[in-house]
Amino acid sequence: MKRILSSVTDGKGFDVGLVVLPLAFLFVMSGLPLVYNVVMSFQEVDMFSLGSFARPFVGFRNYVDLFSQPETRPILFNTALFVVASIAGQFAIGFGLALFFWTNFPGASWLRGLFLVSWVMPGLVVGAIWNWILSGDFGVLNFLLRETGVIDGNIFWRSDPNYSLWAVIIANIWLGTSFNMILLSVGLSGIPKDLYEAAELDGANAPQRFWTITLPMMRSTIGAIIALGLIFTLQQFDLFAAITSGGPNNTSNVTQYWAWDLSFRQYDFAKGATISVIMIVFVMFASVVYVRSTRHEVRG
Amino acid sequence: MTLQIELNGVNKFYGAFHALKDINLAIEEGTFVALVGPSGCGKSTLLRSLAGLEKISTGQMKIAGALMNDVPPRKRDVAMVFQSYALYPHMTVEENLTYSLRIRGVKKAEARKAAEEVAATTGLSHLMKRYPRELSGGQRQRVAMSRAIIRHPKAFLFDEPLSNLDAALRVHMRKEIRALHDRLKATSVYVTHDQIEAMTMADHVVVMRDGIIEQQGRPLDLYDRPANKFVAGFIGSPAMNFISATVAEDGTHIVLDFGKTQAKLALGSRLASGTSVTAGIRPEHIKVVAEGQGAFDVPVGIVESTGSATYITSATTPELTIVETGRGGARSGEIIGLAIDPAQLHLFDTATGKRIESENGRVGIEPPIHLHLAGHAS
Repeated sequence: MKRILSSVTDGKGFDVGLVVLPLAFLFVMSGLPLVYNVVMSFQEVDMFSLGSFARPFVGFRNYVDLFSQPETRPILFNTALFVVASIAGQFAIGFGLALFFWTNFPGASWLRGLFLVSWVMPGLVVGAIWNWILSGDFGVLNFLLRETGVIDGNIFWRSDPNYSLWAVIIANIWLGTSFNMILLSVGLSGIPKDLYEAAELDGANAPQRFWTITLPMMRSTIGAIIALGLIFTLQQFDLFAAITSGGPNNTSNVTQYWAWDLSFRQYDFAKGATISVIMIVFVMFASVVYVRSTRHEVRG
Repeated sequence: MTLQIELNGVNKFYGAFHALKDINLAIEEGTFVALVGPSGCGKSTLLRSLAGLEKISTGQMKIAGALMNDVPPRKRDVAMVFQSYALYPHMTVEENLTYSLRIRGVKKAEARKAAEEVAATTGLSHLMKRYPRELSGGQRQRVAMSRAIIRHPKAFLFDEPLSNLDAALRVHMRKEIRALHDRLKATSVYVTHDQIEAMTMADHVVVMRDGIIEQQGRPLDLYDRPANKFVAGFIGSPAMNFISATVAEDGTHIVLDFGKTQAKLALGSRLASGTSVTAGIRPEHIKVVAEGQGAFDVPVGIVESTGSATYITSATTPELTIVETGRGGARSGEIIGLAIDPAQLHLFDTATGKRIESENGRVGIEPPIHLHLAGHAS
């Protein structure tokens, strides 16, 4: 009590308080559930043992069972495809837009701000919008593709097993592009202008300047953005719930949606936890990449 | 000598702002030219226009005889040393040096050899594997220069390259840059706001103000015969003393106006009586003599000594600054006589600021008079 009081009067111990409070919050809200989840993946959990923590341990049986299920491999592959395609699309379009707005034409910053609208929208709303766009008979995307002659008949994006995952990927690219663009814009504006002038006088043309100045100077930003992209796409749940619900026949199912489906729709909490643990490993890896690339900033 | 850089009637507008006004400049091959002037005078704009980083609005710009108006920077074959050095932070010293060669498709081994040769002359050989952030200010400066040298460009452009260095290093690098220029015999254009740098380094000094060239010529010519009051005040340190004066009724004298008192000096030539003029005399051209022995007497205000020189500021309006070599004996508050070499007196038209040339430049001095502290009983 005296300590707390003294931290108010003379500031002593205030620094400790600043550290302890968020750490306690993190521990209670993230740390404990995480540990609970990991423990649960090694237990036998059913509806009756759900209320108690003391459940029979089964070792790696949940993991073995999971990988013997026929849908596991396709879902893992879907997840990989979803992550790679989403990040590639978000990054490529985001970088293109960032470079475009970097030319600073009149109204550039205003327009760039407008692009953020896609990012502030809830995933469920984005999903609903894309449901209309992707709709088989009346969808505007089909209309555009048909009128430009790319396709002959309508594509049923959400119910065709060949396209269902891509329907979510397209929506996710749209959702994440502006975030990529903003971070990349910040990175671009951090490159001193005189480097480009020096390179120009040294004889470099525009593509050469991009490869030898822009890209290397953006390395840490790009590393951070890819790592964040990996984390965000592995968290993407709303779009699956809104657009395909993982169907048809798991063709658009990914681990994060499957974990929820197993736990809360099939009440197989142990398998849901097991899938989550596998994802934690990937996210941890991404976090390390993110921390490392933001630490190794190269600035004049 | 052939002309390496030629500017004819060059103008530059930023919207309504007229940054460069009808600039004419001819620079011979191998000359070291300094562009000097206060900030905002257009010297950097002129340099950047030469590099191609700014596009001139009207006029002609030629480098080595070829019209450069619409040629992009990378095809001008000029090298620039930036104020910030603009070293590529993600490249080692060696990569910084070889960048321009590699861009041009020179083989790696060949480029490395060239870099090593340049590094040997600029003392960077042991730093080739370092990154710019691991170098001191002076070393970065050397890398920036080496990066320019390695290309053998048609001209070197320097944009205040020494302004980020401390005073001692600046004096040292000044000599080094000049020595380098003498060795390479390349045409150099050097922008600075420091007239000492301009005077000590350049063969040809261009003084600019508000987008126009006020005067250009050899450094000592500018010092000896400044074309106007601005150049007179800008060149030389400490700055020239200016005293407003009027031509007396006889037209052969000027009356220096020190507020409450006046001093009369004879002119070598005749001027229209009543003309307002400004008399200029450099601090180093005034000699301190005993009271009553000089052209006029002044009370001493402040005395500052650097050991090698003594700076005396008179307690008059306007103040006069006098530089004496050595320690001097003047004390604050005492009255001293000032002797002025008539040949060193400059006259400027007060209205236009232009230099007034008198025949043979002689100005005679009347018998001494007293100048008193403002507010002092006279």
